Amino acid sequence: MNRKWMFLFLMLTGLALTSGCWSKKELTDIAFVSALGIDKNEEGKYVGTIQLINPGNVAGGLQGGGGEAPSITTYSSTGDNIVEMSRRASTKISRRLYYSHTNLLVINEELAKEEGIINILDAFDRDPEFRTTATIIIAHDSKAADIVNTLTGVDKIPANKVIKTLKITEQRWGEHMEVSIQEGIKNLISPGKEPVITGFRMTGNTEQGKKLENIQQSAVEENIQADGLAVFKDGKLVDWFQGETARGVTWILDKIKVTDINISWEGEQEAVAYEVLRQKTKVSANMKNGQPKISIHVDAEGDIGEVMVPVDLTDPSVLLNIEKTVEKKIQKEINDAIQRAQKNQTDIFGFGEAVHRSDPKAWKKLKQDWNNVHFPQLKADVTVEAFVRRTGLRNKPYFFRMESNQ
Amino acid sequence: MPSFFKQRKKKTNSEDHKESGRDQPNNRSLEFIHDSISINLDMIKQKTGNSSDIVIRTLNISLHSEIKTAVVYVEGIVDSISINDFLIESMMKNHALQEKLTRENALEVISNNIVALGSIKLVSNWEQLLLSLMAGETLILVDGTNEALSVGTQGGETRSIEEPSTQVAVRGSRSGFTESIRTNTALVRRIIKNPDLWLESMKIGKATQTDVVIMYINGIANEKIVEEVRQRLKRINIDGILESGYIEQLIEDQTMTTFPTLYHTERPDMVAGNLLEGRIAIFVDGTPFVLIAPTIFIQFFQAAEDYYARFDIATALRLLRVIIFFISIIGPSAYIAATTFHQEMLPTQLLIAISAQREAVPFPAFVEAMIMEVTFEILREAGIRMPRAIGSAVSIVGALVIGQAAVQAGIVSPAMVIVVAITAIASFATPSFAIAISARLIRFLFMITAATFGFYGIILAFIMLTVHLCDLRSFGVPYMSPFAPFSPKNAGDTVVRLPWWALKQRPPFISNENNIRQGKDQKPHPPTNRGMVNSHTRKSDQNES
Amino acid sequence: MEKAKISAYQLFVLILLFEHGTTLLLPLAVEAKQDAWLSVLLGMVGGFVLFWIYYGLYQYYPDNLPTEYVQKIIGKVLGRLLGFFFLLYFMYIASRDLRDFGEMLVTVAYPDTPLFIVSALLMLVMVYTVRKGIEVLARTGELFFIIVYLLAITGFILIVASGLLNLTNLKPVLEEGILSIMKITFTQTLYFPFGEVVVFAMILPYVNQSKKAKVAGLFAIGLSGINIAIITVLNISVLGVDLVSRSPFPFLSTIQTIRLAEFLERLDVYFMLTSIICGFFKISVYCYVAVIGIADLFNIKEPSRLVYPIGIVILFLSITIASNVSEHIKEGLQIIPFFVHLPLQVVIPLLLLIIAFFKNRKSR
Repeated sequence: MNRKWMFLFLMLTGLALTSGCWSKKELTDIAFVSALGIDKNEEGKYVGTIQLINPGNVAGGLQGGGGEAPSITTYSSTGDNIVEMSRRASTKISRRLYYSHTNLLVINEELAKEEGIINILDAFDRDPEFRTTATIIIAHDSKAADIVNTLTGVDKIPANKVIKTLKITEQRWGEHMEVSIQEGIKNLISPGKEPVITGFRMTGNTEQGKKLENIQQSAVEENIQADGLAVFKDGKLVDWFQGETARGVTWILDKIKVTDINISWEGEQEAVAYEVLRQKTKVSANMKNGQPKISIHVDAEGDIGEVMVPVDLTDPSVLLNIEKTVEKKIQKEINDAIQRAQKNQTDIFGFGEAVHRSDPKAWKKLKQDWNNVHFPQLKADVTVEAFVRRTGLRNKPYFFRMESNQ
Repeated sequence: MPSFFKQRKKKTNSEDHKESGRDQPNNRSLEFIHDSISINLDMIKQKTGNSSDIVIRTLNISLHSEIKTAVVYVEGIVDSISINDFLIESMMKNHALQEKLTRENALEVISNNIVALGSIKLVSNWEQLLLSLMAGETLILVDGTNEALSVGTQGGETRSIEEPSTQVAVRGSRSGFTESIRTNTALVRRIIKNPDLWLESMKIGKATQTDVVIMYINGIANEKIVEEVRQRLKRINIDGILESGYIEQLIEDQTMTTFPTLYHTERPDMVAGNLLEGRIAIFVDGTPFVLIAPTIFIQFFQAAEDYYARFDIATALRLLRVIIFFISIIGPSAYIAATTFHQEMLPTQLLIAISAQREAVPFPAFVEAMIMEVTFEILREAGIRMPRAIGSAVSIVGALVIGQAAVQAGIVSPAMVIVVAITAIASFATPSFAIAISARLIRFLFMITAATFGFYGIILAFIMLTVHLCDLRSFGVPYMSPFAPFSPKNAGDTVVRLPWWALKQRPPFISNENNIRQGKDQKPHPPTNRGMVNSHTRKSDQNES
Repeated sequence: MEKAKISAYQLFVLILLFEHGTTLLLPLAVEAKQDAWLSVLLGMVGGFVLFWIYYGLYQYYPDNLPTEYVQKIIGKVLGRLLGFFFLLYFMYIASRDLRDFGEMLVTVAYPDTPLFIVSALLMLVMVYTVRKGIEVLARTGELFFIIVYLLAITGFILIVASGLLNLTNLKPVLEEGILSIMKITFTQTLYFPFGEVVVFAMILPYVNQSKKAKVAGLFAIGLSGINIAIITVLNISVLGVDLVSRSPFPFLSTIQTIRLAEFLERLDVYFMLTSIICGFFKISVYCYVAVIGIADLFNIKEPSRLVYPIGIVILFLSITIASNVSEHIKEGLQIIPFFVHLPLQVVIPLLLLIIAFFKNRKSR
């Protein structure tokens, strides 16, 4: 009995010391991919740009850290599909590509317009290494390769910069939203909703962005910036929403956390800044005479952030007026967004799913032509309730006395 | 060769077996020769090979007739003062009785009237005679009688009572056991002053004749376990017992395991506490470490001062110790598994940092871990053997060499050093040294399985370890009680420690009789007549002052 | 029969861990879409009924293993044959479970390692445990029960705290109507996992407090049913119906979506830990029961010597039963319930109970 265990023990030790272990990956043999960009070239093949992390140049400290060398290295490779492209990249890269930490996927705008994104996402869905919690963005007016190649200040790893930027702007401004691959796929196949994906663009000189000098100056010339929401229909990109239309979309999708709404006051445009601190949007669907009717209700709470005209903020009725103006503004934004989406004949808000939840039988009939027929025709009833709770550290603006004294 | 060892080869089935089951060849005479004290003394000298520390003092105790008497003892293991004062002096200066002394009644008179010492007995055969002599008793031989007196005069230099070195407590008594068994049993007697505290002596070991004492509280301890312990001790057939470790390994339930099934301690208060729970203590002469049976796994995580501290801190410390134990087993293996197989588990930033460090290191993670661990074991052993004076130099050298230099030379990565250091500290934090030793060995096993199969290997090894632990028994009690088989009654004093007033019962799996250890209603009720007074106070409270 | 005895609490723990065995791993009642949890709960009720049948048989013959009393009920030859079929069934299910596990490990964590090695390791540990007997298995179960529950509660808290729970995914409730749910229950959830309690008919004779055994068993089935329903609800609300139906390991996908505080991500190793422990118990129970049954049928004095051969048989069976994962799953969903589970779990014990009832009425 003992001999058997000794033998097993020795075998295991031998296995451990040699490289006979199958799934073993030494840290020095793998390359961490932090971002992946996908373009299409003239021959119709996919061009992937792979952003690899240079660990020695990222971690500072004892090892005499970075500053001279860039913290990432990029390689590009082509292939007929994603898996082939990834494996072909091994001809250029000295290590095994490791995708578990890939948090960013960039897709070219033209690729999304012409071919659509339905087919290319399967590799990411199926592979156990790739995480479907990774963020997906569309490269707006740029090639995906450019976004992946750019070096950034503040964040050593550019992929992190993009992701964090997206997260922060979703929370602070609300025009863009973070979409993971999982969510994207879920929306692609759901008959009652179409996906919406944030776009990023390059500002400045593309060539400059690849160089280290880009981040060695205080005013960064070349930067990656969030820009608009890409709207899809049947998996293909059909339109870009920007500005307040984009925000209307995020209002309906209940993704706004904090944002700023400017209203006109006493003839002055954009005179009062109302900061939304909390909001809740409820979407429900009802069937009336065989026609779907959507009701959207928004509950918003916030403070006054800035006034540019003398407004008496100590008067509750003034605040009530501000509230009403804000409500109208939000209503307009939402209605604009819905109309624009209806023009594009694509239900990005999930109204179809709402109908499905409330009346499954009716949904069965409407499912087929939802995007093209029923959605553009439906009426949405938008009600907004906005509250102004506080006015910051001051009540009346400091120039209130000045103007009224003149 | 010493005569005792020669004797062993001539085994026969003689019926003249006395107590310790030793063999006696037939040509041994049971009685010694009548009335010739010189022949007796010659026999003694011959048997002990004329050892120079045997003192033979001839006396004359009777006035008229020349009754030769001799006092024989071994210098160094007897208390010379009591021999001189109470034995020799009494015998020589006892003029009153010297007239009555005759050959026939000499021993009787001596034992009844002259010798002013406590323990005295008659011996009549060689075996007993020599054993008593070697045990530190003094022999009184009288010419003309074929019996001798053996007087208890054990003494000699022993270590005084000091603080126990292995189980230090911040709060609690500072006395620890010493090498003398009588001192040790006395220390426990001083704590439990109860006639129900029973001792049974036996001598184990053919050559060493070591005193072994079983101690238990009658009425609380489980009779079956006491009997089992007795049986197993009697079964021991070995030439020498040098330490309680020998006994532990000879009577334990299962040897093919790294986990100890008998607990040992240097502190009298721990022994007393265990005895009160119904366990049995085994004292061995010559070592301060006392064995306690039966044992359960959780005992190794209990320190004496857990009971003296309050329940909240005691519970927290106990939980901490269990967690520490697991860290010390799984620490390096988890690191190896995470960096070699499951890199996705680590947060990206941490992974990049570790990866940057490993760029400089030539070895795979497993080899690195092995190097560090083995070096640490070497350091540990060196630390024990080093003379005190150089001890601090070793720690400096160790810290510098292992810590800084190896990292900067690029042999190991800093993360590995941290992991090994934490594991080492964790292994020092377990209260019982025996468990720390088993953890050391198991850790290597886990490292190997982690290096071959990653976390799957660790999980499988962990399952095997648990199964192995659940299979162990200590004198019939399952090792993992009270978790498996689960009994909430027993669990009040394990990983958590409930306040004293809640621990009403003794753990039933140890002792089945006499379970209640406290009276009812021991929870402190401070009097309610301060602050807000409730209208319905209990009657008992009003009686408290 | 061994002289071992386990307590009612240990039976409870064993049944609980056993039920969770591979259900954490595999998708359940996927055709019911968002009402899968209802199907699970209905299956649980069915499990109660089945357990009551097995317990009834146990009450008629409290000191005999089923392989023994089956002979008493329908005669020696037929009884032995039936007992043997049951044992074959247990070994087959054990190998199916081993295959499920191997597939999960190879897909998720060790893609380059051959399936044989991964399964062989688990089998080694299982053989080591089963050789020690049911008491050790039960005690280990008690310890692991605590660990698994702690992990489960932590996981649940993490999922909820991540804000991933989207209960609207559960609507509309009963979209297809209650009848289709019932149909799915009777073709799927009743047998897997609840009907598999038939194995415990072989373990009931070892329980030393037979009155409490009934309560323990029912409680265990109830608790595990509720747990599994909660997990199904979690899966659907986090992933959505579609992703659940496409994933071979839905609970794993749920855990993979946990992202909390920027460093608690990619926690699939904890999932691996829980599922390996539960799976290990399930396969060990099956293997133990097979060993005891064969030792009883063929009058072998030392059952522990059988463990290695039976373990190796299960191992090889697990490799050969299907050549790829789709075949394996299709077999499990379409062929097994009807032809194997239904007769052996439901029909035969019911018949046996009826016959035993009449027999004992006559003998009074």
